[in-house]
Amino acid sequence: MGRLVAGELIKVRTTRTALGFAAASLLLVLAAVLITILAGHPQTVADKRDALSFGAAIALVLLLFGAVAATGEFRHRTLAPAVLIAPDRLRLFIARVAAYAVTALALAAVMALVTLAVGVPLLARENGPDLAGSDYVRVVAGGLIVATLAAALGVAFGTLVRNQVFAVIAALVWVTILEPLTGLIDDRLPNYLIGSPLTRVAQGGDADMSFAGAALVLLGWVAVFVLAAALVDRRRDVE
Amino acid sequence: MPAGAAIEAVGLTKRYADVTAVDDLTFRVRGGSVTGFLGPNGAGKTTTLRMVLGLARPSAGEATIGGRRYVDLDEPARTVGANLEVAGAHPGRSGRNHLRALAAMAGLPGSRVDEVLRLVELDQAADRRAGKYSLGMRQRLGLAATLLGDPAVLVLDEPANGLDPQGIRWLRDFLRGMARDGRTVLVSSHVLSEVAQTVDDVVVIHRGRLVQQGPVEALTAGGGGVLVRSPRSDELRSVLYREGLTATETPDGALVVEGVDAARVGDIAFAAGVPLHELSPRSASLEEAFLALTSDAQPAAAAAEKGEPWAGSLPES
Repeated sequence: MGRLVAGELIKVRTTRTALGFAAASLLLVLAAVLITILAGHPQTVADKRDALSFGAAIALVLLLFGAVAATGEFRHRTLAPAVLIAPDRLRLFIARVAAYAVTALALAAVMALVTLAVGVPLLARENGPDLAGSDYVRVVAGGLIVATLAAALGVAFGTLVRNQVFAVIAALVWVTILEPLTGLIDDRLPNYLIGSPLTRVAQGGDADMSFAGAALVLLGWVAVFVLAAALVDRRRDVE
Repeated sequence: MPAGAAIEAVGLTKRYADVTAVDDLTFRVRGGSVTGFLGPNGAGKTTTLRMVLGLARPSAGEATIGGRRYVDLDEPARTVGANLEVAGAHPGRSGRNHLRALAAMAGLPGSRVDEVLRLVELDQAADRRAGKYSLGMRQRLGLAATLLGDPAVLVLDEPANGLDPQGIRWLRDFLRGMARDGRTVLVSSHVLSEVAQTVDDVVVIHRGRLVQQGPVEALTAGGGGVLVRSPRSDELRSVLYREGLTATETPDGALVVEGVDAARVGDIAFAAGVPLHELSPRSASLEEAFLALTSDAQPAAAAAEKGEPWAGSLPES
């Protein structure tokens, strides 16, 4: 398994795709921190924690990163050489999920440093109580968890749908439009879907759902998608 | 796995909805031989190879390499080198990085990448993105990937596609070199001239069914009639006609007599007192034999039932 992950990591590093998503993540994180603090002037602990929740800013980007990577294997017909080396499709799929999760984790760690380097001095100039050490831990841990799970979810979703354009549009439409609309049916429903737990974990939880609860919901969705993708992928012919 | 293991397919079948792409295909590739897997476009060659390599699940039947299914091989990259796509490399990744990733997955040292790049003469372009490669360069990159694990068996799908004449000659020498090393090579093509001078055996399929397998020489033997040359050509033709034989004149004045062996033509001429200057069996070209096979496809079993001269199975390896 280790060498499959190593091979997948080489694949991640040797195209411009990862670089593009890293650049997009950096821009979003900087924009989120600067706008939230300089324009929003957070005064409470919760608002200040939200201002540093870099995970919320990059969750969707990393979900798309995973989806684009997985669908790229089908789009560019690059799957066959890898399957010829690793005919056990389950192991290959898990290795791909792991490689993108690790990459997202590393990217999130960099984003955490950027966020703290820019955000903490700016927050020090704002009124209201300071953040405690546990607040920083929760925001950083949440961001790292969200980034890792979002990329894994993206790889699983991309493997299931295969079509790159459809995968990107479907993910965007679901998370940004359809999922919030489910709140019209029951305002608690979005809490148990994908977008809301992503944000909630990144922000360290809130009054509606705890950090651990949101993380569990998210983990459940990732498990469902990874399992479904693994089963479907294993039975498919490689084109 | 021993060097040059045999490849076997038994009753291999692949159905897609209402289409049967490969239909009860049985053949054997001798270990240590270069075997041409031939058939026109759409005959089912690639689908068959994909099933042999575990990339497609057969609807029925089984394919083995060295007695084991591909998916059951312990170290596939060190056992079988296969190239089904043209390179199969991401267009934004360099040839070298494509091979580095595959080598890492196979647990092979990075130095092996440079070795295979030199072997396929792609080392000068190794750091360019694969999307910028010509078709011939992508073919070479695909070949480099197949050689990473120094495998004893090579399975190549249309490797000559996109190669210029020099490239085809290079490929021919390359495949012969692989066979000299004792490796088994199964190479598909729809262009006979590309492989005619390279292969020992052929497996010919058409519309997903086997129409012939055997040594390449057997494909053309006995199918071309008898070439006969006489200073009294018109008289010879009349004599042959009286014996129920039809002779066709070639541009240089010789006669070609179909459906008879050389001895019978010689006996007829001798009895009639017609002198002969040349009498020789004439082999059909591989191209003629191939076209005859695939334009009037008949399954091997049916051909064998008719007792046709070159229907049969390969010798044991």
